[in-house]
Amino acid sequence: MKNYLTILVLFIFSSVFSQVSVSSISIEFENANIETVISDIEEKTNFKFYYIPEWLEEKTVSGIYKDITLEELLKELFKDSLINYYISEDNKVILTKNTIIYDELPEQFFQEQNKVTTQMTSEEEELKAPVFYNEARSEVVKKLETIRIGKESKNRSQKTYTLSGTIFNATNGGGVPELAIVVKGANIGAVTDKNGAYTIELPAGINLIETNSLGFEKVQKRIIIYNNGSYDLTLSEAYEGLEEVIVEANVDRNVDEVNAGKTQINVKDIRNIPLVLGERDIFKVAATLPGISSAGEGASGYNVRGGKTDQNLVLLDNGIIYNPTHFFGIFSAINPFTSDQVDIYKGNIPAKFGGRLSSVFDIETKDANVEKLSGEASIGPVTANLVLEVPLVEDKASILVGGRATYSDWILRSLDSEELNKSKASFYDFITKYNHRFDENNDLKVTGYYSKDAFSITSDSIYGYSNRLATVNWGHKFNDANRGELIFTNSQYKFNIDFDGQTNTDFELGYVINESELKLNLQHFRKAHSIDYGFSSKIYKVAPGFIDPINSESIVESFTIPSDRALESAFYISDIYEVSDELTVNAGVRFSIFNALGASAQNIYQEGLPKSEGTLIETKEFGKNEVIKTYAAPEFRLAARYFIKPSFSVKGSFNTNYQYIHTLSNNTTVSPIDTWKLSDINIKPQHATQYSLGLFKNFNGNVFELSLEGYYKKMDDILDYKVGAQLLLNENIERDVLQGDGKAYGIEFLLKKTKGKLNGWVGYTYSRSFVRLDGDSPEETVNNGDFFPSNYDKPHDFSVVGNYKLTRRYSLSANFVYQTGRPVTIPVGNFVLDGSEFVFYSDRNSFRIPDYYRLDISVNIEGNHKIKKFAHSFWNISIYNVLGRNNPFSVFFVTDDGEIKAYQSSIFSIPIPTITYNFRF
Amino acid sequence: MKNKTSCLLALLSISLVSCVKEIDFETETFERALVVEARITNEEKKHEIKLSRSYRFEDDGAVPETNAIVKVVSANGDILFEETEAGKYVSMTAFKAMPNMNYALQIMTIDDRSYKSNEISLTQATQVDKVYAVRETNDDGVNGMSIYIDTYDPTGNSNYYRYEYDETYKVIAPLWVDKDLIVVADDWPNCFVELVPRPNTRVCYNTVGSMDNIQASTVELSEDRLTRFLVRAISSEDYILSWRYTILIRQYVQSQEAYSYYEALSDYAGEGSLFSQNQPGFISSNMRSENNSEEKVLGFFEVSSVSSKRIFFNYEDYYPNEPQPPYASSCLEISPEIDLGHPADLCGPLLVLIEGGDILYYRENEFPGPREGPYYVVPTECGDCTRLGTTSVPDFWEE
Repeated sequence: MKNYLTILVLFIFSSVFSQVSVSSISIEFENANIETVISDIEEKTNFKFYYIPEWLEEKTVSGIYKDITLEELLKELFKDSLINYYISEDNKVILTKNTIIYDELPEQFFQEQNKVTTQMTSEEEELKAPVFYNEARSEVVKKLETIRIGKESKNRSQKTYTLSGTIFNATNGGGVPELAIVVKGANIGAVTDKNGAYTIELPAGINLIETNSLGFEKVQKRIIIYNNGSYDLTLSEAYEGLEEVIVEANVDRNVDEVNAGKTQINVKDIRNIPLVLGERDIFKVAATLPGISSAGEGASGYNVRGGKTDQNLVLLDNGIIYNPTHFFGIFSAINPFTSDQVDIYKGNIPAKFGGRLSSVFDIETKDANVEKLSGEASIGPVTANLVLEVPLVEDKASILVGGRATYSDWILRSLDSEELNKSKASFYDFITKYNHRFDENNDLKVTGYYSKDAFSITSDSIYGYSNRLATVNWGHKFNDANRGELIFTNSQYKFNIDFDGQTNTDFELGYVINESELKLNLQHFRKAHSIDYGFSSKIYKVAPGFIDPINSESIVESFTIPSDRALESAFYISDIYEVSDELTVNAGVRFSIFNALGASAQNIYQEGLPKSEGTLIETKEFGKNEVIKTYAAPEFRLAARYFIKPSFSVKGSFNTNYQYIHTLSNNTTVSPIDTWKLSDINIKPQHATQYSLGLFKNFNGNVFELSLEGYYKKMDDILDYKVGAQLLLNENIERDVLQGDGKAYGIEFLLKKTKGKLNGWVGYTYSRSFVRLDGDSPEETVNNGDFFPSNYDKPHDFSVVGNYKLTRRYSLSANFVYQTGRPVTIPVGNFVLDGSEFVFYSDRNSFRIPDYYRLDISVNIEGNHKIKKFAHSFWNISIYNVLGRNNPFSVFFVTDDGEIKAYQSSIFSIPIPTITYNFRF
Repeated sequence: MKNKTSCLLALLSISLVSCVKEIDFETETFERALVVEARITNEEKKHEIKLSRSYRFEDDGAVPETNAIVKVVSANGDILFEETEAGKYVSMTAFKAMPNMNYALQIMTIDDRSYKSNEISLTQATQVDKVYAVRETNDDGVNGMSIYIDTYDPTGNSNYYRYEYDETYKVIAPLWVDKDLIVVADDWPNCFVELVPRPNTRVCYNTVGSMDNIQASTVELSEDRLTRFLVRAISSEDYILSWRYTILIRQYVQSQEAYSYYEALSDYAGEGSLFSQNQPGFISSNMRSENNSEEKVLGFFEVSSVSSKRIFFNYEDYYPNEPQPPYASSCLEISPEIDLGHPADLCGPLLVLIEGGDILYYRENEFPGPREGPYYVVPTECGDCTRLGTTSVPDFWEE
């Protein structure tokens, strides 16, 4: 106990010391109100004040202070008022009315009357048995009062008696509603009604009852009940340090979360990270975390733990977005201002999600402010962005509207260059979300989203693609133990190419995928269980390709590949079961069923032979809605977390997934004209199994989070293509498609500092990703049927993201990324055949482009925090690629006049400075 | 590669940022792979097989593979090939591939490595129906003569076609004369030239083979028929049309494997763009090493049926009363000096040009102006057709 006290004393010393060490303040004010003085202090120092303006009296103060400590100044300021103050270690000043915030435990807490000689301020000397309302462990230290109810009768006939009464608020004399009264050690309790009245059945004899309510003191009474009777009680209000509670709510998520491999990105936390061309991008931030990477700048799509880019389920308010990027992946198509947070599951995917092998990006749009009109806007070099939150029914309904558009098209058109002013590059996205809280048990959320890109690289063709999304989500609370949500979503992705050239071959070519899904997610809570169960079913409709002449001169013949349809359904149930304080298990199973539906003509080929014209046996016709092929499989989702120590846990998971839809792309990176193909008779679903094991540790009171996680993933039937495959407008796509195995493994290290002047993270991943294509014939075999590195196999991936707060208004950020260069297939020689010279390529992906590294820095300047100010502004000055590293994105070879020439393309090869201005109101 | 100069950030108006640049690239790990060029057909002849090795980009030309033992094996016995020139192997006897018979190619190289093809049978024999020429602006925007082919296989088994052609055209040197200028002395001040008789090199014939990979497939069509399939397009501005032109088109019916091989080869001859790159790769041949399954073999062994047709046409047939296309080179006459005299103390440029073989005599300059010589001369191609062909009339030539 003595040691304990010594620590306590040291703590007090250090806290006093820390206060004294703060540079002294010189300030003068005359007839100023206290609020002005406070904001003056805020500007002169690093301190931030937390208070309710109404508490501050109208009276004015005057004074001239030189080199005094904040402590002395505050004592002076508030000496004749009811305001108490508390200066925290992290430069926060919390003002309270009447109550004192204690930064030490009461002496009696240790129930020993040791004399502690410390150097205390006068205020601290006043400490006597303080009352701690806020912390559960600091129970009220009062002598337990014994109340006797009723008259003890000699022949007790009843086993229980009824106690009733009213609980009053000491402050205003009114009843205290919703106050819980529980009998300790027995499973009996009651809650007061709106007038504060209660009725409780108590067993005859001695009962220890306790009141429990947020905002009121906790009181215990010993009640000896002999007969029915009544008892009233008056309670005092207690203040809750709510703000601190919110901030600290998830501090131990790193170690506590059961699902290993879950990452959460809070959009408001990423705004200090340096930007490229002024666009904040949650996906780019995600890619700095271990296990998530992209093939390079300008590559849309992300590879999660060695998976292909089509294996990510990108959900915006529960609806799928097929291509969440603008401009070849340089910008994200998700408006950063409207997003609240993103949960990324790269390890164990909860059973309620399915349909993709590698990850889920679950993006939630924020609910609009229901109290007042607010908004946020930004102006950057490429885009302008505006988001408005409009309350419609106070405290119940509101709408959020966000739009973002680029003005690059306008800039291009005004250029003198002949070549450039014909180019076109534009995009925009629009989102709206309506949320309505009908009552405590029912709420409705409706989201609409549209994004559109158009660009032309050559003067005669225009490429365009768009995403469209609508979701409706009705949340209902049946009771405390049962909740549910019913979700309807519809998503559409399409692209088209308009070719308008000199000759008579003008055409329009397009692709559309549309899906509608109905989901029912239910939750049931009981004791140590939290059970999720539900059902989902979606219908796909794909127009795999069509080409039409644009005008009457065009000789292009209309051609349409018949549409594909399919139904994908799933049932799931999972349980998060707290087996003990240390062990929590999340076990789930998802049963997914995929029905490929007619009308369709399906080619049947000879078994065991390469699919080609020659091996075609017949073409089967299926009628509308006739089931062509059914695939069904259980998917297991198992994860467990075990606390070795309260701040140290080990987590493991086992996960299987099926994916029934595949991208068709014969590019080494994603391009906007990649199409999605549904599984059918000839194209099997993809399948993956992942095992992961990780250690998670928090240090220094959750300031540091450390994790080390390893995984092994096996994939079957992933899609690849024959060399030179024709994927667009191909009726017999199965003849050009190969299905092979993949395997990926890696170890991910992440150290995060979540608080303090310097925060950020360091991540390192060692990972490998391989593919094997071992078909029946040489043209279906790649690299002799051995495993070869995938296009996105980047063994070393290191990133540092740091943010340093110089003052409350100025902060500096930097990030650094290093990655092994990705594998490429290169020409290794020439040869002559039939008089022509050809290039002789290496085995697939047997070489690597040079390593990638990049440093970005940015300065963030916040406008000042004057309460009355209309808008809060924020400047971001970023330099992307400070080192000017010419990172190759791809290396390719061109036969030019019979000569082979090697070219390297890079997207951002010099430092790119940008300035963005944001403001919020 | 039309995109190589376009650049993303140029599009975004920040044109400072470079995007595509040529890089030095040397074949670091070069593989010296065997290249097999073997196509036997249903023509009765001594068939030819070429063997070579792949080579580095920096080097030019394929290296012939010499001293190999080459044979085609079938149920009818082995057909041996002998090397007639470096890398060129010709069957010792004439033969033709027979239907319903399997053939395999076996090669033993000088370093004792053996290679073998899959067993292959002859493809469906299908005759070329028609070869015809049309004057038009074709779909690719070429204004001139289009050579089309029609073919039809009623059995529907051919499906995959590959075309080769040999075009032969007459070349008439427009400024041919029967005299030639030769240098007698060029040691100043002794600068003398002399007119001598010259053989007739006015009319020549030149034959050029197809270089491109021309393939067609009827798989997607309702019947095995090609109509108006463009094999060759010649611009109206091309001098080869000026007099008389003939083209022989050979139609090979390919197997699906051979078709895919050639198609893939020509497809990936280097496609790429700023944002995306087609996936290139090694294309497996039907030849493989028997010693090392990892060894790469290039080329293909084909047994295909062949059919050919030839057509002739004259320029006037399609361009009556129209001016001829410009000749292969511009035929400006000049009159260079013989002697530059004092103080240059050198023989004139005429002697240098004659000795370089760059010019030919055309006519006398009766009234030479200042700094002119006594003769008009023209570029050699204008007076001597052998620069563009040979004077011997091909045996297939018809007037």
